[in-house]
Amino acid sequence: MTQKHQLIVDSLSAGYGDKTILEDITLNITPGQITSIIGANACGKSTLLRTMSRLLAPSKGQVLLDGKSIHQRSTRQLAQILGLLPQSPTAPEGITVGDLVSRGRYPHQGFLSRWSKADDDAVAKALDTTHTTELLEKDVDELSGGQRQRVWIAMALAQETDILLLDEPTNFLDVAHQIEVLDLLVDLNQSRGTTIVLVLHDLNLAARYSDKLIAMQQGRVFAYGTAHEVITEATVQTVFGLNNQIVSDPISGSPMVLPIGRHKNTTL
Amino acid sequence: MTKSLDHTIQQVRTTRQLRSKKWTTIVVILCLLLATVFMVTLSMGQSFTPPNQVLQVLLGKNVPSASFTVGHLRLPRAVISMLVGMSFGMAGVAFQIMLRNPLASPDIIGVSSGASAAAVFAIIMLNMNGSSVAFFSIMTGLLVALAVYALSFRHGGVTGTRLILVGIGVSAMIESVIVYLLSQAQSWDRQEAMRWLTGSVNSAQLDQAYPLLLSLCIFGGLLLSRARELDALRMGDDTAQALGIRIGLTRITVMVSAVGLIAVSVAITGPIAFVAFLSGPIAMRLIKNNGSLIVPAGLVGACLVMVGDYIGQFLLPSRYPVGVVTGALGAPYLIYLIIRVNQKGNAL
Repeated sequence: MTQKHQLIVDSLSAGYGDKTILEDITLNITPGQITSIIGANACGKSTLLRTMSRLLAPSKGQVLLDGKSIHQRSTRQLAQILGLLPQSPTAPEGITVGDLVSRGRYPHQGFLSRWSKADDDAVAKALDTTHTTELLEKDVDELSGGQRQRVWIAMALAQETDILLLDEPTNFLDVAHQIEVLDLLVDLNQSRGTTIVLVLHDLNLAARYSDKLIAMQQGRVFAYGTAHEVITEATVQTVFGLNNQIVSDPISGSPMVLPIGRHKNTTL
Repeated sequence: MTKSLDHTIQQVRTTRQLRSKKWTTIVVILCLLLATVFMVTLSMGQSFTPPNQVLQVLLGKNVPSASFTVGHLRLPRAVISMLVGMSFGMAGVAFQIMLRNPLASPDIIGVSSGASAAAVFAIIMLNMNGSSVAFFSIMTGLLVALAVYALSFRHGGVTGTRLILVGIGVSAMIESVIVYLLSQAQSWDRQEAMRWLTGSVNSAQLDQAYPLLLSLCIFGGLLLSRARELDALRMGDDTAQALGIRIGLTRITVMVSAVGLIAVSVAITGPIAFVAFLSGPIAMRLIKNNGSLIVPAGLVGACLVMVGDYIGQFLLPSRYPVGVVTGALGAPYLIYLIIRVNQKGNAL
């Protein structure tokens, strides 16, 4: 990756119909880093990601890629720079892994330009990185949840974009598979320098795996910074309405949230 | 590491080439099948005409008696059946893929009957003919498609089931309009009624092939140019858009070209029952996920109409229009699909 692309969210508001979900959000995504969006349910995490990936048009403000609004760029050109893995994507019935991953090449192929060597290479690299090569000829329907998620990520990788947005990529995965997916994203970030923005539910994994965190509350950015800046008792209390204590994660040194409920508390 | 990557590249290439080889094989087989069906329907009817005489007639030579039976009686039927079947098959599968539901074919959601009603109205009430009928029926078909789409619109999207239920309702309404229009006609006859309600190639003439060919070139070509985009839509709007597909433009292009194909055909043969509906799923069973379904579905549609017409003419105790035969084939499949969709959501 020679030149990094710059993604900026500029005083953005967005919503569905008359309902405003995002209000006046301004963000400067650091290129080449992993940024996680965290926050309570229905705080606008997915909506922000959808707007950043032009699936949803903003009602005010704009999303700028290298200084130009993404809604003014050609869809295909944009798809060569910015990739998106939606939450629970649908695979056509009976599609094989190889076929699905190959579809990541769509934005690089035109009506007349046929399948090229570069396409084969990109698909193979994506399969290799996600350790899904042995699944190549399998039906996507037959895969386990973790395998399926890796295959979808492989499709997004085959797209070879500098920026990759993922909406809850660890959803419905057990903890081992969650770690596997997050490790994979770090690999990608380190080897290709891909800028990654993802929505994550698990605060501790977000703190451990991200360079930057965006904490959202009711459609606004409450805090934006490194894990140490964002994951504080006060922020978690405000954003999630949860009593908590922060300790240092003995494995990674990142802040770790210990929730405090009404029961099972022996420190009182 | 690089060695294993090279191996993976090789593997990716091999599976891709295998897939396209499978697609080509199936399409070639379908073409051969279509050619065979074409020859059989030309040589076998009330009487048998040897294939070499059929070929001579096709080459424009004058063969006593064969020139009349083959050239005048059988050829127009066969050619019109083939072209109409192709149009229905391609348009049907385009709708099914675009709306991600096998029940969403134009003959079930009212597009075909809309075009048919328009044709009846134009011919009987307005005394129109030829291309103006086709134009009128394309516009009405589009209008019905848009109306069904708009009526199914809820909370920023269209769900498959809702669209189909609305479509079936609209379709039923339009069919009653067709019956009413026919009852107002001065020369009411059963042949005509059958044509506009279930479709028939009984009044096929060779010069009707030109508008059909033109529509296949324009609308069919447009549809084929969108094959990749259409295929991407099967992964859902979000993923398709993330892959750089312009959803709105693709939808409109596909809808206009599919309705065009349907309407031009319907203006000539009426809405031949269930051909649009059946061709896609049959093509899907044959092609699996090895490539675009548009061309295969067109070939399947052509075979269906030709075989259906042959059965209707010669293999049943009395003569039936092709729509009755394809209708009888399609209805059980429709019931099966409704049960299946109920059980596991939508899929093509």
